[in-house]
Amino acid sequence: MPNLASMSFFIPELILSAVALILFIFALVSDKAGKKGEYASVIAIAGLLASAVFVLKNFNIGSPPLFWGLLVLDKPAAFFKEIFIITALIVIIFSQRSNELRAGANDSAEYYSLLVGSVLGMNLLASANNLLMIYLALEFVSLMSFILVGFARGSSRSSEAALKYVLYGAVASGVFLYGASLYYGLTGTLDIKSFLTISPSPHLTISLAGLFILAGFLYKIAAVPMHAWCPDAYEGAPTPITAFLSVAPKAAGFAVLMRVFSAAGDGFNWPLIIAVISAATMTFGNLAAIPQTNVKRLLAYSSIAHAGYLLMGVASGTPRGAEAVYFYFAAYLVMNLGAFLVVQIIANTSPPLMGGDIGEGGRESLAAYKGLGRRGASGAILGITMTIFLLSLTGIPPFVGFIGKFYIFAAVMDAKLYWLAFIGIANSVVSLYYYMRIVKTIFFDEPADAVQPAFSSRRLAAILGVLSFATIFIGLYWQWLSNIVAAVIA
Amino acid sequence: MILGLLQHISIQNLIWLICLLPLVSSCINWLLSASSSKLPSKAANSLASFVGISGPLLAFFSALIVFWVLTGIENSEAFAITGPLYQWIGFGGWSIDIGLRVDQLSLVMALVVTGVGTLIHIYSIGYMRGDDGYPRYFAELNLFLFFMLLLILADNLILMFVGWEGVGLCSYLLIGFWFSDIEKAKAGKKAFVVNRIGDFAFIIGIFLIWKMLAGQPIVGGSPLNFETLERNAAFLLPIATPVCIALFIGACGKSAQIPLYVWLPDAMAGPTPVSALIHAATMVTAGVYMIARLNFLYVLSPLALNIVAYTGAATALFAATIGLTQRDIKKVLAYSTISQLGYMFLAEGVGAFGAGIFHLVTHAFFKAALFLGAGSVIHALHGEQDLFNMGGLKKYLPGTFAVFFVAALAISGIWPLAGFYSKDEILWQVYERGYTGLWVIGFITAGMTAFYMFRATSLAFFGNLRIGEDKKHHIHESSISMLVPLVLLGVLSISGGWIKNSIGTFLEPRFASVTLEEVTHHENMEHILAVISVLWAAHWAFVAWIVYVQKPSWPEAMANKFRKIHSLLMNKYFVDEIYDAIVIKPLAWISETALWKGFDIPIIDNVGVNGSGRVVGFFGKLAAVLQTGLTPHYLFFMVIGISIVVGWLVF
Repeated sequence: MPNLASMSFFIPELILSAVALILFIFALVSDKAGKKGEYASVIAIAGLLASAVFVLKNFNIGSPPLFWGLLVLDKPAAFFKEIFIITALIVIIFSQRSNELRAGANDSAEYYSLLVGSVLGMNLLASANNLLMIYLALEFVSLMSFILVGFARGSSRSSEAALKYVLYGAVASGVFLYGASLYYGLTGTLDIKSFLTISPSPHLTISLAGLFILAGFLYKIAAVPMHAWCPDAYEGAPTPITAFLSVAPKAAGFAVLMRVFSAAGDGFNWPLIIAVISAATMTFGNLAAIPQTNVKRLLAYSSIAHAGYLLMGVASGTPRGAEAVYFYFAAYLVMNLGAFLVVQIIANTSPPLMGGDIGEGGRESLAAYKGLGRRGASGAILGITMTIFLLSLTGIPPFVGFIGKFYIFAAVMDAKLYWLAFIGIANSVVSLYYYMRIVKTIFFDEPADAVQPAFSSRRLAAILGVLSFATIFIGLYWQWLSNIVAAVIA
Repeated sequence: MILGLLQHISIQNLIWLICLLPLVSSCINWLLSASSSKLPSKAANSLASFVGISGPLLAFFSALIVFWVLTGIENSEAFAITGPLYQWIGFGGWSIDIGLRVDQLSLVMALVVTGVGTLIHIYSIGYMRGDDGYPRYFAELNLFLFFMLLLILADNLILMFVGWEGVGLCSYLLIGFWFSDIEKAKAGKKAFVVNRIGDFAFIIGIFLIWKMLAGQPIVGGSPLNFETLERNAAFLLPIATPVCIALFIGACGKSAQIPLYVWLPDAMAGPTPVSALIHAATMVTAGVYMIARLNFLYVLSPLALNIVAYTGAATALFAATIGLTQRDIKKVLAYSTISQLGYMFLAEGVGAFGAGIFHLVTHAFFKAALFLGAGSVIHALHGEQDLFNMGGLKKYLPGTFAVFFVAALAISGIWPLAGFYSKDEILWQVYERGYTGLWVIGFITAGMTAFYMFRATSLAFFGNLRIGEDKKHHIHESSISMLVPLVLLGVLSISGGWIKNSIGTFLEPRFASVTLEEVTHHENMEHILAVISVLWAAHWAFVAWIVYVQKPSWPEAMANKFRKIHSLLMNKYFVDEIYDAIVIKPLAWISETALWKGFDIPIIDNVGVNGSGRVVGFFGKLAAVLQTGLTPHYLFFMVIGISIVVGWLVF
């Protein structure tokens, strides 16, 4: 489809671009000190909602290739775009009441602009159908993420995390570009469907190209061996950004990974490689999570492990596997954002103990959770909701995580990858240990201090209620969600 | 609004009500029990007794209405099913529904259970007055009634098993009602564990049926439904014997037959009304009921029927001999119950299912009367249960005495009381069907029954008062709430047998007929045998009276003369000790030394649980150490990782 004709299908992205620019200009011209961030966030929310409506409108229009085939507008892309937008909306609400971000209140209009820009980049990544487009979108998302991780300017931890992320990201981009250039050299095109044109059977050079391209995606989803940046970046970033990074860019990475490799077909023997990487990723994530004492860092490792679980669905290489991945993302969005929200609320309201944020006894450390469940009504509520999210992350019924994992394991068994299913189950058992250690700390340890955590904000309390309700509700009535997912596949 | 409710009155809904009313009572009483610390105890107890009585009473009325309506329909059987309330379990084309079934058999059982049950509930008000766990008592007793009715009214084997397990649970709870006494708690545990052995066999029986029917071209609905089972019984012919034996072992557990009877005497640790309701009148007859319900299976296997008959006869005689020497009034009644249950199985074993159920009904009346009478005595004597510390109570407790005496006559089989008709029917059926040997055992047991019952009656009510002077003035007749049920049960013990002919014809359509070898009716022979057995029983009753009232020195002399036999009987043939030595001790040794200390602690705990934990923890530390925080290291991992995969691709 030529460029001008494509424009009418490109409205969601156009809206996001406009909103991002408006927010930049708003940051420059507005002099409403203190209230600026609030207004900016409202603009961002409005823009995202409008974009979501148009994405939905284009859901059922077939799969038109836009801009001469650089983008494609199919149902999986639309599904992922909704995931990005919902995540961004929830994270904006987190951000409005984040103490870490308030420290730099003057910049918060820019912050929302970057967030919206990041969603724009991910939208492009989810639709990209050409290696050049993929590279541009990948870089777009990465650049936004770098800045967002380092956004708490006063915090050296945040800056360090951002720098590591940049260095790592640069190398990963290089690897990806190397793969893309090999691919171009072999096929003479950057269209992802050309894997098959090279040879009927897997061929070493094309396999190397595929592998390096894969490495670029693995970096985005933080899978072994491209995971190392993840714990540091997640720990250093402001908590709302950690929550955002653990869901949205990961989903974007999966979107493009699944698009490219389902197009690659038999041209590159990827399912087995992904299966091995999946096993390594979840095993590493779960094992490394065990000794952690910082809850945010622990959740970072947990998110690596979850990338491993999700890769199991990809490795099965079947539509059922893809369906399971889609379903799991919806589940993962709810429970993972919920867990990070509790972390943020605790860090917001805990008194500044010795060791600042990270050390033993810091606000994000496990020590801050001691006896939380027995520290007043709000402590009990936080403790119970955290328990719900953690049980769901472990995959225990009747929570949504169980249903998600069930679909994944069903798909893997269906594909006869029994060894992978076994590793997945063993990993779930291991993960129970560190998740339940938090629960144990919350309910059975003696409270370290008598300070009762308070809900400083009604809106965080409300969103906490919504997320925990969804975790239970979808766990009990998931049929509608699985119908949606089935419609995405169809 | 009432008119609106009336629209919903249908036979089906009434059947549900029979079952559910006791459950509702139970739930309310549980709530009362849970909140009893916050309520004034008097008000709470009054409410508990009101609720506790209403449920069973209304259930009894519902059962009566169902009975009247169903028997009132001309030219049709008294039969109704509720149909499935909902599908409970569904798998592979099979379904197990929640549904009830009322027919002649279950209707008779439901009337007995709710009727006798209501009387015993009323009696309990007086007996349990002032007990700390008053609401809990009624909650558990109501719950028992619910499960018992579920067992009886269930329309399929699985739901029946639910009731079967439920009554076991309630029995356990009520035997150990005074659980702070460790001995009583242990008695409850023993009952539960011994019953589990039977239940296990029951389940095996169900599995065998399922295994056999799976894949067969079955006619009708859910295969474990009694209706379908009966229509498709022919498919079960090849495995009828193992199925019937397995189910019979289940019945042995619940109905206290050899070899699983040992729990019933210990079950007397519970409150006496519980013994009357659960361990005499209703629950222990569940096995008898189950075999009658599945009679169409048993007639397929003559061998299994013979096993039932011989086990029943052996139990009847065996328990009666133990009953001869027991000193505890409740233990005498417990062994008498085991013995009478033996009679019922004997009847079923020879194919006279109707006679077995008839004896079940009359037994419920007179055994409940005996237990409640014993309870009244124990209540009057403040917990004294030893017969040799009683005596001469006739003067002090005239009402209790009258009922106990009548019921003792009834169980002994004296004309024209209830026991005469049913026991005579059993003995006659056994004789007529040619089981002369079994008839002799039954006949001897009947004599023993008369003897030990009148031994107990004489020791408790006749002769000199052997109780301490200080306690004498405390002796008092029971309150009216205890006496009324007692008298009603006494009346039933007298008149309960007069329905012999009508109950026989009423139940007949439910039972598959067992062909007799000689279909000749020896009416004269029947009358001669009846007269002989009445004289036989009366003779032994009289002997007992002579020995224990007129010549109190004789029993001791006899005991000394036959010291060995006496001590064997006194110690119940040492069966408990034998079980302890050959089953419990080895099991305990294996569990403790071999499995626990030898396997569980070193292997499972140390190597398995802690070992895997340590291994995982070690690798976790290792993985965390890799995370140095230095970007060059991170990039190095990346290079190594990609190189490994490339190497894998190349080679």
